Amino acid sequence: MIRQLTALGRRGCEVLEALGRAGMFLAQSSLGVPSREGVYLWLRQMHFVGVLSLAIVLVSGLFIGMVLALQGYTILVDFGAEQALGQMVALSLLRELSPVVAALLFAGRAGSALTAEIGLMKATEQLTSMEMIGVDPLRRIVAPRLWAGFVALPLLTIGFSVVGIYGGYLVGVEWLGVFDGSYWGNMQSSVDFIADVGNGMVKSLVFALVVTWIAVFQGYDLIPTSEGISRATTRTVVYSSLAVLGLDFVLTAVMFGGLS
Amino acid sequence: MKRSKMMELGVGLFMLAGILGLVFLGLRVSGLTFTPPGDTFTLEANFSNIGGLKPRARVTMAGVNVGRVSAIELDTDWYDARVVMELDGELEGRLSRDTTAAILTSGLLGEQYVGLSVGGDPETLADGDSIRDTQSALVLEELIQQFVSNMVSD
Amino acid sequence: MSDSPFVVIDGLHFSRGDKDIFRGVSLTIPRGKITAIMGPSGTGKTTLLKLIGGQLTPEAGRVCIDGQEVHALSRKALFRLRRRMGMLFQSGALFSDLSVFENVAFPLRVHTDLPESMVRDLVLMKLEAVGLRGARSLMPSELSGGMTRRVALARALALDPELILYDEPFVGQDPISMGVLVQLIKRVNEALGLTAVVVSHDIKETLSIADYVYVIADGQVMAHGTPATLDVDQDPRVSQFVHGEPDGPVPFHYPAPDFRHDMLDAGGVR
Repeated sequence: MIRQLTALGRRGCEVLEALGRAGMFLAQSSLGVPSREGVYLWLRQMHFVGVLSLAIVLVSGLFIGMVLALQGYTILVDFGAEQALGQMVALSLLRELSPVVAALLFAGRAGSALTAEIGLMKATEQLTSMEMIGVDPLRRIVAPRLWAGFVALPLLTIGFSVVGIYGGYLVGVEWLGVFDGSYWGNMQSSVDFIADVGNGMVKSLVFALVVTWIAVFQGYDLIPTSEGISRATTRTVVYSSLAVLGLDFVLTAVMFGGLS
Repeated sequence: MKRSKMMELGVGLFMLAGILGLVFLGLRVSGLTFTPPGDTFTLEANFSNIGGLKPRARVTMAGVNVGRVSAIELDTDWYDARVVMELDGELEGRLSRDTTAAILTSGLLGEQYVGLSVGGDPETLADGDSIRDTQSALVLEELIQQFVSNMVSD
Repeated sequence: MSDSPFVVIDGLHFSRGDKDIFRGVSLTIPRGKITAIMGPSGTGKTTLLKLIGGQLTPEAGRVCIDGQEVHALSRKALFRLRRRMGMLFQSGALFSDLSVFENVAFPLRVHTDLPESMVRDLVLMKLEAVGLRGARSLMPSELSGGMTRRVALARALALDPELILYDEPFVGQDPISMGVLVQLIKRVNEALGLTAVVVSHDIKETLSIADYVYVIADGQVMAHGTPATLDVDQDPRVSQFVHGEPDGPVPFHYPAPDFRHDMLDAGGVR
C-alpha cells in the first residue's frame, strides 16, 4: 500500500517535472527577436508543415462537408426543414469539426514528422554539435518549427471550413436539390462572424500551439535511440489527440456553453 | 536556389489562400457587410415579458432586417424588461413617435425577434428615445392556460 | 602566460543515475599539444568532453578553459567561449539538411558578417585541407563514414578555434581512412598550433600522435605520461590496456555468480 502510494507520488513528481521542462522549453524557444535568417527558416518550415499538409486537409474537409450534408439532409427532411441545411453544415464545421479534425490531421501528418525529425537530429548529435558551434538549437531548430505550426494550422483550418462548406453545397444543392438561395441565405443569417468564425479560429490557434508544442518537445526530450524515436512519435500523436479533444470540450463550454 | 524560390512561392500562395478563405467565410458564409461605424442609433423599449428573446436577435420592419438587439436588462422601476436595440442610421428621425414594437416568433418553433411597425404621428423618435407601445411575447403556456380556462367556463 | 595549461580540470565528480562516472578526476591539458584521454569503453570519455564543452554540469569540481570557469559562465558567455572551441563528434553530426559546403560555412555564417565571396574562399580552403573540395555540393547522406568525419573536421576548423576536441575520431574506420585521419589530425595541429584533446580507445593510432596521455578507469585517472613512459608502465591494469590483452585486472566477464553454480541452479528463476 505504502509502496503503491510512493510510486504514485513519484509518477506525479515526474509528470510535474516534465511539464515544467516543457514550459521552460516553450518560453526559451518562442521568445526573442527573429532575424532575417530566422524568417527564412520559418518559411521553410511553413512549406513543410503547411503547404505539404494542405492536400490531406482539403480532401478530408471536402468529404466531411459532403457527409454532413448527406446525413443532415436525411434528418432535416423529416421535419421539412431541409432549407436549414446550409446553417447546419456551416455551424458544425466552423464551430467544431474544422478546428478539431484539422488539428488531429495536423498532429498525424506534421506533428509526428516534426518529432521524428528533431529526434533524429538529436540521435545523430546534430543538436549537440550545433550547441558546440555556439548556436542555440532552441532558437535555430525549434523556434521556426513552433512558429510555423502556430501559423499554419489556423490557415489549414480555414481551408478545411471553406472546402467543407463547398462540399456540403455540392451534395445538398447540386445533388439533393435544396434551393441554393436558402442554402446560402440560412447560413448567412445564422452564422455570426465573431461568435462562430472567430471562436473557431481561437480554438484553432490554441490547438496549433498545443499540437506543435507537444510535437517539438517530444522530439527534443526523447531518448536518442531508434526505439526512443518511435515511442516519442507515437506519444506525439496520442498526447496531441487527447489534448485537442479535451481542450475542445473546455473551449466549447466556455465559448458556446453559456458559462460565464 | 531555384528550389527555394518555388518553396517561397508555395508558402506565399498558401498564406494568400488562407486569407482569401477567411474573407470567404466572412462575406459569403456569415454574410458580413461593412457598415461604417457610427451608422446606427439606439432605441429602447420596455416589455412586460420578453419570452425567449436573446441579445443579438434581429429587429425587423415589414419583415426586413433593420437592426439587432444589443442588450436586455431588468428595469427595476417597473419590474419589466428593457430591451435596447441598435437600428440602421438611415431610419433616424424617420420613425414616428407612436411606432409599436412586438416580440414575434419566426415559424412555430423558430427564434424570437422584434418587429417594428410605424404609426402616423408627425413627431419622430430620436437616438436614445424609448418606444411606448409594445406587445409582449406570446408565451405558449399562458396561451394554453387561457384556452383551457375558457373551455371550463363555457 | 602561454606556458600555462589551456584546460584545467580539478576534482571532477559526475554521476548518472546511481552510477558514478567520475570520482575526482583532475587533469591538465597543455597549450598547443595533442593530449589523449584513453580508457576502456564505458568509462565516460565522451561525458568528459561534454563536461569540458559545458553541456553537462559536474556535481563537484571545476573545469577552467583559459582561466574561465566553464560552469560559472552565463549562457551567453558560454556560447562566446564555445566559439573558440571546435568539436569533432563520433558520428560527424553534419546537419543533414545542408550540403557539405553549407555545413562548413555554417559557423562562419552565424558568427561572422563576412561577405559571401570571403565565406566561399574560407570554406574551399578548409575543404581543400581535408581533401574534399570536390565534394562540396554533395549532401551528407551521400558521403562515406570517413568523408563525413573529414567534412566535420573542416567544419570544426572553420572558425580557427584554439581548442579542438576529438570524440573517438578513429572508431569504425577502415585502415585507409583511419590513416588519413591520423595524418590530418597531426598535420592540422602542427600547422595551426591548436590545443587538441583526443578521446579514443584505439591505442596504436592515438599513441602515435599524442604528446601526452591520460588513462581513465573506474572514474579516476589511472595513469598519465608520454606515450613512451606508458608503454613500459609496470601497473598491470595500464599494461593490460596499452598492450590490448583480453583478460587481466579489467575482467573479461561482467560480474556474475559462479558459472557452475549458475548452470546447475535449474530450480531458480531464470
